[in-house]
Amino acid sequence: MTTAAFIIKNALRNKRRALLSVSSVAVSLFLLVTLQVALRELTLPPPSAGAELRVAVRNKISLTNLLPARQRGVIEKIPGVEAVSPFTWFGGRYQNEEGMSFAQFAMDADKLQSVFGEAKMNMEGYEKFKASKDACVLGKITADKYHLNVGDQITLDSTVYPGSLSFHIAGIYSGTPDDRNMLFRQDYLDESIGQPGYVGMWWLKVKSADDMTPVIKAINAAFENTSAEVRAESERNFQLGFISMLGNVKTLIASISTVVVFTLVLVSASTMSMAVRERFRELAILKALGFRRRELFAFILAESFGLAAAGAILGIGGAYILYTYGDIGKMTQGIFVSFEVTPRIIGIAALVATLLGIISAVAPSVSVARMSVVNGLKSLD
Amino acid sequence: MATAFRIVIEVGILTLLAWLVYVAITSPIAKSYNLRNVFVRWRSTLATIMGIGLVVAVFVLVQSLAAGLEKSAGNTGDARNIMIVRKGSTAESTSMVSLAQFQIMRYWEQIARDESGAPLISADLICLISQPRSDGHGEANVSVRGLKSVGIVLRPQVKLVAGRWFTPGKREVAVSQKLARRFANFHIGDTFRTAGNTLTVVGEFDGGNSAFDSEVWMDVDEARSLFDRESYSSLLVRMASPEAGKQIISRIEGDKRLPLLAGSEIKYYTDQTMTALPIKILGNFLATAMSIGAIFAAMNTMYASVGARTREVGTLRVLGYRRRTILAAFIVEGAFLAAIGGVLGCLLALPMHGVSTGTMSFNTFSETVFEFRITPLLAAKGMIFAVVVGVIGSLLPAIRASRLPVITALKSV
Repeated sequence: MTTAAFIIKNALRNKRRALLSVSSVAVSLFLLVTLQVALRELTLPPPSAGAELRVAVRNKISLTNLLPARQRGVIEKIPGVEAVSPFTWFGGRYQNEEGMSFAQFAMDADKLQSVFGEAKMNMEGYEKFKASKDACVLGKITADKYHLNVGDQITLDSTVYPGSLSFHIAGIYSGTPDDRNMLFRQDYLDESIGQPGYVGMWWLKVKSADDMTPVIKAINAAFENTSAEVRAESERNFQLGFISMLGNVKTLIASISTVVVFTLVLVSASTMSMAVRERFRELAILKALGFRRRELFAFILAESFGLAAAGAILGIGGAYILYTYGDIGKMTQGIFVSFEVTPRIIGIAALVATLLGIISAVAPSVSVARMSVVNGLKSLD
Repeated sequence: MATAFRIVIEVGILTLLAWLVYVAITSPIAKSYNLRNVFVRWRSTLATIMGIGLVVAVFVLVQSLAAGLEKSAGNTGDARNIMIVRKGSTAESTSMVSLAQFQIMRYWEQIARDESGAPLISADLICLISQPRSDGHGEANVSVRGLKSVGIVLRPQVKLVAGRWFTPGKREVAVSQKLARRFANFHIGDTFRTAGNTLTVVGEFDGGNSAFDSEVWMDVDEARSLFDRESYSSLLVRMASPEAGKQIISRIEGDKRLPLLAGSEIKYYTDQTMTALPIKILGNFLATAMSIGAIFAAMNTMYASVGARTREVGTLRVLGYRRRTILAAFIVEGAFLAAIGGVLGCLLALPMHGVSTGTMSFNTFSETVFEFRITPLLAAKGMIFAVVVGVIGSLLPAIRASRLPVITALKSV
């Protein structure tokens, strides 16, 4: 019998225990990968194409304070700015649903293509959106969810403005990281609500990446010491700022991950030592036959490593397959969208599995090394 | 379908538990035999107990977080108060009450008076400001409540704990103590800039675990000029009597000039209770996944325990103990093991009780402070969870023990 065959035979001798060990490692690593992916998605949202050229401008007091529409002329004249659109939160509720299921923003129909170019829609949609005042465009995810099609009418009750508004769907777009939003026309909002002259935010596109910093500086400076000071920042920074509002969620998930890893090491290490302790007598015989400590250590290490590796393949691989090919949006009711298992996360989980294999082997190896052959032969356990 | 499935499982588990308790009580095997056996193989047992303990701790903590978040607004308000907001608004920050509307209602005789005869009615303005966090990681929205000085009288659950209340016109604010800890410039004596002005913190208050714990307070008319608002957000009135309260509500409903919604303050905040759904989903997912791991661990320990006591089991059978008694004995052993883990888990989670934390509420769109709340009910749930894990984990090993052939069992070494 070769050494490898000996180790494999030993590992699988108690098939039930091998299976239980491998499964508990697999479940824990699956959990670890899931938490890491969730943490990554919460703290680093997927960037959208064109984000590096986009700037978000909000009221310096906070996002919820409006901006005067007259600022637009000033921003448009800043060199390096390609297109500017208002972007106003409507806070509409669809069909008396308890919560808001998708966001709606009022913007400038002519600027949709230039500012949010990554949203793909047929030309007809753009034409209709520009042509009629009550037109709106809808993200594909939302359209599919409510079985809405081009030409349908939808009515939304605003939680921000008094009253409700009806829209005709001009087009359905896709291609952004999160195709859920509804976009409609700012002029329609102004007309219906009777509060023209204010917008929620400005979103703009700069001509090149080099224009980014100067444009941001120029916008911030332009409105300093006016009645509506602004904060201009890149789309990425704006997103990260939004995430920092989530507060301690990050700490929470990170600490749960730590507890999961700790539990995993504890349970698996104990199982491994159990497997070895059961074979104390055999190991004593091997020792009596002249096997050295390091050879025995190698046997144990190889076995625990093999079990950890099998668990890792099952757990990490399972998570990878589930999150890559499964519909994560549906599973989490739309809280998570992309849920990408990155190589880095796979690396972290694999590292944990490796450490686990080593740590589990240490305790039993030490006791095997310490035992005297006579005591080992006597042991009944 | 899913619910039916759940009910079947729950009934199954309950029946099993009831039967176990029955057998354990009537069992002729001394309970101490099983209980002492738990500690014989202490190393692997300890690992299993700790494993289950950690799982229970995570379960209890995540659930307590959800409970705290859902309760954060529920504890707010005074039964004698009526809150008035714009119809259709879901949060105070998007509500609007004009000055004219306030004037219409101000001297209604149904509103209670203070000693000097002034009506107990406060007009509030809620505005969100973005401020840097104390840990240096970015900014978050904070709710600023502008209120008339009578507004403080109307909210007896809010107590000043340090400094003094703000003086109107001097650009002063009072901050919730719990909020002060979470933001960089919110301690007494600190100043912060917003809307082109510098505000000074002169007092800290304790909101008594209500929604006011997430607020900064200042004078309402000063806030209106600061944030350039024409109208108020909401009104809060003290009713002269419960009967007068009903009259206020019906008067507002009947008045075309007042497109407002009036109702009990307590009810308003209870309805604001935000959904802790994402946290609950996380908690359930974690509990499920981790309990599977814990069940495997318990199974391993119990299998080893059964394996090591094969001869003892054979002896018991020879002495006349029945299969089902042995089955129950091992399950009770597993449940006991898990229960120790459960106690450990609850103890591990307990220090977090009352620790305040915060996140953005999607209702108010601002930082909401809330506490981990480990209620007795939650601890009980954690214990049940642990025992269920123990019972499921020891089921197969116990079946194995009860089916050992007597002769072989006796022969085994």
